[in-house]
Amino acid sequence: MDTQSPSIDLTIPSELGYEKIAREAVAAFARRFGFDHERIEDLKTALGEVCINAIEHGNACVPGLRVLVHCECGNDRLTVEVHDRGVKQYLAHGPSARIEQKVFGSAPLRGMGLMLISQLVDDVGFSHNPEGGNICRFSLERQQIHANGTRE
Amino acid sequence: MTSSPNDHDQMHPERVIELRLPSRLGYEKIAMDAATSLARRMGFHEDRINALRTALAEAVTNAIEHGNAHDSAMRVLVMLTVRPDELIVSVADQGRNLLDPDKTLVTPSIEESFTKADKGGWGIWLIRELVDEVEFSTGPGGGNQVRMVIHLEK
Repeated sequence: MDTQSPSIDLTIPSELGYEKIAREAVAAFARRFGFDHERIEDLKTALGEVCINAIEHGNACVPGLRVLVHCECGNDRLTVEVHDRGVKQYLAHGPSARIEQKVFGSAPLRGMGLMLISQLVDDVGFSHNPEGGNICRFSLERQQIHANGTRE
Repeated sequence: MTSSPNDHDQMHPERVIELRLPSRLGYEKIAMDAATSLARRMGFHEDRINALRTALAEAVTNAIEHGNAHDSAMRVLVMLTVRPDELIVSVADQGRNLLDPDKTLVTPSIEESFTKADKGGWGIWLIRELVDEVEFSTGPGGGNQVRMVIHLEK
Protein backbone atom coordinates (compact mmCIF):
# COMPACT_ATOMS: atom_id res chain seq x y z
CA MET A 1 0.00 0.00 0.00
CA ASP A 2 1.07 3.58 -0.57
CA THR A 3 2.90 4.62 2.57
CA GLN A 4 2.67 8.31 1.60
CA SER A 5 -1.12 8.40 1.86
CA PRO A 6 -2.62 9.35 5.21
CA SER A 7 -3.36 6.18 7.13
CA ILE A 8 -4.50 4.79 10.43
CA ASP A 9 -3.98 1.38 12.02
CA LEU A 10 -6.25 -0.31 14.49
CA THR A 11 -6.09 -3.66 16.24
CA ILE A 12 -8.99 -5.33 18.03
CA PRO A 13 -9.41 -8.56 19.98
CA SER A 14 -11.05 -11.48 18.22
CA GLU A 15 -14.37 -11.17 19.98
CA LEU A 16 -17.64 -10.46 18.26
CA GLY A 17 -18.84 -6.93 18.94
CA TYR A 18 -15.41 -5.31 18.72
CA GLU A 19 -15.87 -4.90 14.98
CA LYS A 20 -18.19 -2.01 15.87
CA ILE A 21 -15.26 -0.02 17.22
CA ALA A 22 -13.36 -0.58 13.98
CA ARG A 23 -16.43 0.52 12.01
CA GLU A 24 -16.67 3.80 13.91
CA ALA A 25 -12.96 4.55 13.68
CA VAL A 26 -12.83 3.94 9.93
CA ALA A 27 -16.07 5.89 9.40
CA ALA A 28 -14.51 8.90 11.16
CA PHE A 29 -11.43 8.53 8.92
CA ALA A 30 -13.62 8.46 5.77
CA ARG A 31 -15.64 11.47 6.96
CA ARG A 32 -12.39 13.40 7.20
CA PHE A 33 -11.83 12.84 3.47
CA GLY A 34 -15.28 13.97 2.43
CA PHE A 35 -17.00 10.62 1.87
CA ASP A 36 -20.75 11.13 2.10
CA HIS A 37 -23.13 9.42 4.51
CA GLU A 38 -24.23 6.74 2.05
CA ARG A 39 -20.68 5.71 1.13
CA ILE A 40 -19.74 5.65 4.78
CA GLU A 41 -22.67 3.34 5.56
CA ASP A 42 -21.47 1.02 2.75
CA LEU A 43 -17.97 1.14 4.21
CA LYS A 44 -19.18 0.37 7.74
CA THR A 45 -21.28 -2.59 6.62
CA ALA A 46 -18.48 -4.03 4.48
CA LEU A 47 -15.88 -3.56 7.21
CA GLY A 48 -18.18 -5.13 9.80
CA GLU A 49 -18.58 -8.22 7.63
CA VAL A 50 -14.86 -8.51 6.92
CA CYS A 51 -13.97 -8.13 10.60
CA ILE A 52 -16.55 -10.74 11.62
CA ASN A 53 -15.03 -13.16 9.09
CA ALA A 54 -11.57 -12.44 10.51
CA ILE A 55 -12.77 -12.90 14.09
CA GLU A 56 -14.90 -16.00 13.53
CA HIS A 57 -12.92 -17.81 10.86
CA GLY A 58 -9.42 -16.39 10.52
CA ASN A 59 -8.84 -16.16 14.27
CA ALA A 60 -11.41 -18.76 15.37
CA CYS A 61 -12.73 -16.38 18.07
CA VAL A 62 -9.55 -16.67 20.15
CA PRO A 63 -9.53 -13.25 21.92
CA GLY A 64 -5.75 -13.24 22.31
CA LEU A 65 -5.34 -13.23 18.53
CA ARG A 66 -5.65 -9.77 17.05
CA VAL A 67 -7.40 -8.46 13.99
CA LEU A 68 -5.44 -5.64 12.33
CA VAL A 69 -7.24 -3.00 10.29
CA HIS A 70 -5.15 -0.69 8.11
CA CYS A 71 -6.93 2.14 6.35
CA GLU A 72 -5.56 4.74 3.98
CA CYS A 73 -6.94 7.32 1.60
CA GLY A 74 -5.40 8.74 -1.56
CA ASN A 75 -6.65 10.00 -4.92
CA ASP A 76 -10.31 9.86 -3.86
CA ARG A 77 -10.00 6.17 -3.01
CA LEU A 78 -10.16 4.70 0.45
CA THR A 79 -8.47 1.34 0.87
CA VAL A 80 -8.84 -0.99 3.84
CA GLU A 81 -6.84 -4.10 4.68
CA VAL A 82 -7.98 -6.51 7.37
CA HIS A 83 -5.41 -9.03 8.59
CA ASP A 84 -6.05 -12.07 10.74
CA ARG A 85 -3.77 -14.84 11.99
CA GLY A 86 -5.07 -17.52 9.67
CA VAL A 87 -6.14 -20.16 12.18
CA LYS A 88 -8.49 -21.09 9.36
CA GLN A 89 -7.97 -20.05 5.76
CA TYR A 90 -10.83 -18.58 3.83
CA LEU A 91 -12.31 -21.53 2.05
CA ALA A 92 -13.54 -20.95 -1.45
CA HIS A 93 -13.40 -17.86 -3.54
CA GLY A 94 -15.65 -19.54 -6.10
CA PRO A 95 -19.30 -18.77 -6.79
CA SER A 96 -21.39 -18.39 -3.67
CA ALA A 97 -24.85 -19.87 -3.29
CA ARG A 98 -27.74 -17.98 -4.83
CA ILE A 99 -30.29 -16.31 -2.59
CA GLU A 100 -32.99 -18.71 -3.88
CA GLN A 101 -30.93 -21.70 -2.70
CA LYS A 102 -30.66 -20.16 0.76
CA VAL A 103 -34.38 -19.33 0.95
CA PHE A 104 -35.41 -22.85 -0.08
CA GLY A 105 -32.93 -24.53 2.26
CA SER A 106 -30.61 -26.12 -0.32
CA ALA A 107 -27.74 -23.92 0.87
CA PRO A 108 -26.86 -22.71 4.38
CA LEU A 109 -28.39 -19.38 5.44
CA ARG A 110 -25.00 -18.10 6.46
CA GLY A 111 -22.28 -17.12 4.02
CA MET A 112 -23.89 -13.97 2.71
CA GLY A 113 -21.07 -11.77 3.93
CA LEU A 114 -18.79 -12.00 0.91
CA MET A 115 -21.70 -11.47 -1.46
CA LEU A 116 -22.71 -8.39 0.50
CA ILE A 117 -19.19 -6.97 0.63
CA SER A 118 -18.74 -7.31 -3.14
CA GLN A 119 -21.97 -5.35 -3.70
CA LEU A 120 -20.98 -2.50 -1.39
CA VAL A 121 -17.39 -1.77 -2.36
CA ASP A 122 -15.69 -1.05 -5.69
CA ASP A 123 -12.98 -3.67 -5.35
CA VAL A 124 -12.37 -6.60 -3.01
CA GLY A 125 -9.80 -9.36 -2.89
CA PHE A 126 -8.36 -11.97 -0.55
CA SER A 127 -4.80 -13.13 -0.17
CA HIS A 128 -2.60 -15.04 2.21
CA ASN A 129 -0.02 -13.15 4.21
CA PRO A 130 3.44 -14.71 3.63
CA GLU A 131 4.04 -14.20 7.36
CA GLY A 132 0.87 -16.16 8.10
CA GLY A 133 -2.80 -15.29 8.06
CA ASN A 134 -5.45 -14.04 5.69
CA ILE A 135 -5.69 -10.55 4.25
CA CYS A 136 -8.88 -9.04 2.90
CA ARG A 137 -8.33 -5.85 0.94
CA PHE A 138 -11.14 -3.69 -0.33
CA SER A 139 -11.50 -0.17 -1.59
CA LEU A 140 -14.15 2.43 -2.28
CA GLU A 141 -14.08 5.45 -4.52
CA ARG A 142 -15.42 8.64 -2.96
CA GLN A 143 -18.23 8.46 -5.50
CA GLN A 144 -19.86 5.11 -6.12
CA ILE A 145 -19.14 3.55 -9.51
CA HIS A 146 -22.19 1.88 -11.05
CA ALA A 147 -22.14 -1.20 -13.27
CA ASN A 148 -22.52 0.99 -16.37
CA GLY A 149 -19.43 2.99 -15.36
CA THR A 150 -21.28 6.11 -14.25
CA ARG A 151 -20.53 7.78 -10.95
CA GLU A 152 -23.01 9.09 -8.46
CA MET B 1 -1.66 -29.33 29.03
CA THR B 2 -3.04 -27.18 26.26
CA SER B 3 -5.03 -24.02 26.98
CA SER B 4 -8.46 -23.37 25.49
CA PRO B 5 -9.87 -19.95 24.53
CA ASN B 6 -11.83 -20.00 27.83
CA ASP B 7 -8.63 -20.49 29.82
CA HIS B 8 -7.18 -17.54 27.95
CA ASP B 9 -10.19 -15.38 28.92
CA GLN B 10 -9.72 -16.17 32.57
CA MET B 11 -6.02 -15.39 32.49
CA HIS B 12 -6.44 -12.20 30.44
CA PRO B 13 -9.79 -10.62 31.30
CA GLU B 14 -8.71 -7.30 29.73
CA ARG B 15 -9.58 -6.46 26.16
CA VAL B 16 -7.28 -3.98 24.41
CA ILE B 17 -7.87 -1.90 21.31
CA GLU B 18 -4.89 -0.10 19.77
CA LEU B 19 -5.19 2.81 17.40
CA ARG B 20 -2.26 4.49 15.65
CA LEU B 21 -2.86 7.92 14.19
CA PRO B 22 -0.75 10.41 12.22
CA SER B 23 0.16 13.61 14.03
CA ARG B 24 -2.29 15.88 12.25
CA LEU B 25 -4.97 17.91 13.92
CA GLY B 26 -8.38 16.46 13.19
CA TYR B 27 -7.29 12.83 13.66
CA GLU B 28 -8.27 13.08 17.33
CA LYS B 29 -11.87 12.69 16.13
CA ILE B 30 -11.12 9.11 15.06
CA ALA B 31 -9.94 8.28 18.56
CA MET B 32 -13.00 10.03 20.03
CA ASP B 33 -15.43 8.03 17.89
CA ALA B 34 -13.69 4.73 18.59
CA ALA B 35 -13.69 5.39 22.34
CA THR B 36 -17.35 6.45 22.23
CA SER B 37 -18.34 3.22 20.53
CA LEU B 38 -16.43 1.19 23.10
CA ALA B 39 -17.76 3.14 26.09
CA ARG B 40 -21.36 2.67 24.83
CA ARG B 41 -20.72 -1.04 24.47
CA MET B 42 -19.51 -1.09 28.10
CA GLY B 43 -22.65 0.69 29.32
CA PHE B 44 -21.33 4.12 30.28
CA HIS B 45 -23.87 6.95 30.56
CA GLU B 46 -23.86 9.58 27.81
CA ASP B 47 -22.54 12.33 30.13
CA ARG B 48 -19.56 10.17 31.06
CA ILE B 49 -18.98 9.40 27.39
CA ASN B 50 -19.01 13.11 26.56
CA ALA B 51 -16.50 13.75 29.36
CA LEU B 52 -14.29 10.98 27.99
CA ARG B 53 -14.53 12.38 24.45
CA THR B 54 -13.37 15.80 25.62
CA ALA B 55 -10.54 14.44 27.76
CA LEU B 56 -9.34 12.17 24.96
CA ALA B 57 -9.50 15.01 22.41
CA GLU B 58 -7.32 17.14 24.70
CA ALA B 59 -4.82 14.32 25.25
CA VAL B 60 -4.50 13.46 21.55
CA THR B 61 -4.31 17.13 20.55
CA ASN B 62 -1.52 17.65 23.08
CA ALA B 63 0.32 14.63 21.66
CA ILE B 64 -0.02 15.94 18.10
CA GLU B 65 0.81 19.57 18.82
CA HIS B 66 3.40 19.32 21.58
CA GLY B 67 4.72 15.75 21.93
CA ASN B 68 5.09 15.13 18.19
CA ALA B 69 5.37 18.79 17.16
CA HIS B 70 2.91 18.35 14.24
CA ASP B 71 5.30 15.94 12.48
CA SER B 72 2.75 13.86 10.56
CA ALA B 73 5.23 11.01 10.14
CA MET B 74 5.19 10.57 13.91
CA ARG B 75 2.37 8.48 15.29
CA VAL B 76 0.10 8.87 18.27
CA LEU B 77 -0.78 5.58 19.94
CA VAL B 78 -4.15 5.36 21.67
CA MET B 79 -4.81 2.24 23.73
CA LEU B 80 -8.27 1.48 25.05
CA THR B 81 -8.26 -1.20 27.74
CA VAL B 82 -11.56 -2.70 28.82
CA ARG B 83 -11.84 -4.02 32.35
CA PRO B 84 -15.02 -5.28 33.98
CA ASP B 85 -15.43 -2.09 36.03
CA GLU B 86 -13.44 0.58 34.19
CA LEU B 87 -12.10 1.83 30.89
CA ILE B 88 -8.44 2.80 30.69
CA VAL B 89 -7.41 5.15 27.90
CA SER B 90 -3.72 5.66 27.27
CA VAL B 91 -2.31 8.19 24.81
CA ALA B 92 1.39 8.08 23.91
CA ASP B 93 3.45 10.22 21.57
CA GLN B 94 7.02 9.90 20.29
CA GLY B 95 8.35 12.66 22.48
CA ARG B 96 9.90 15.27 20.24
CA ASN B 97 9.00 17.65 23.09
CA LEU B 98 8.80 16.26 26.59
CA LEU B 99 6.20 17.54 29.01
CA ASP B 100 7.49 19.36 32.07
CA PRO B 101 6.06 17.32 34.99
CA ASP B 102 5.42 20.54 36.94
CA LYS B 103 2.97 21.65 34.25
CA THR B 104 0.76 18.65 34.97
CA LEU B 105 0.01 20.00 38.45
CA VAL B 106 -0.81 23.61 37.57
CA THR B 107 -4.35 24.94 37.90
CA PRO B 108 -4.72 27.75 35.36
CA SER B 109 -6.39 31.02 36.32
CA ILE B 110 -9.35 32.24 34.35
CA GLU B 111 -8.57 35.83 35.37
CA GLU B 112 -5.04 35.56 33.94
CA SER B 113 -6.39 34.04 30.74
CA PHE B 114 -8.49 37.16 30.13
CA THR B 115 -5.37 39.30 30.13
CA LYS B 116 -3.02 36.94 28.23
CA ALA B 117 -2.85 36.70 24.45
CA ASP B 118 -2.26 32.91 24.69
CA LYS B 119 -5.49 31.36 25.95
CA GLY B 120 -4.04 27.83 25.94
CA GLY B 121 -2.87 25.73 28.85
CA TRP B 122 -6.25 24.38 29.93
CA GLY B 123 -6.02 20.90 28.44
CA ILE B 124 -4.33 19.08 31.30
CA TRP B 125 -6.54 20.76 33.89
CA LEU B 126 -9.60 19.79 31.85
CA ILE B 127 -8.48 16.17 31.63
CA ARG B 128 -8.03 16.07 35.41
CA GLU B 129 -11.53 17.43 35.90
CA LEU B 130 -13.20 15.01 33.48
CA VAL B 131 -11.78 11.58 34.29
CA ASP B 132 -11.60 9.60 37.55
CA GLU B 133 -7.85 8.96 37.47
CA VAL B 134 -5.05 10.47 35.43
CA GLU B 135 -1.33 9.86 35.35
CA PHE B 136 1.35 11.53 33.24
CA SER B 137 4.52 9.55 32.61
CA THR B 138 7.18 8.65 30.08
CA GLY B 139 6.09 5.83 27.77
CA PRO B 140 8.15 2.74 26.89
CA GLY B 141 9.30 4.46 23.69
CA GLY B 142 10.57 7.52 25.58
CA GLY B 143 7.70 9.83 24.65
CA ASN B 144 4.97 11.35 26.76
CA GLN B 145 2.17 9.14 27.98
CA VAL B 146 -1.08 10.03 29.66
CA ARG B 147 -3.18 7.31 31.26
CA MET B 148 -6.80 8.15 32.00
CA VAL B 149 -9.33 5.94 33.77
CA ILE B 150 -13.10 6.22 33.99
CA HIS B 151 -14.99 3.96 36.35
CA LEU B 152 -18.15 2.20 35.38
CA GLU B 153 -20.93 3.02 37.85
CA LYS B 154 -23.25 0.05 38.20
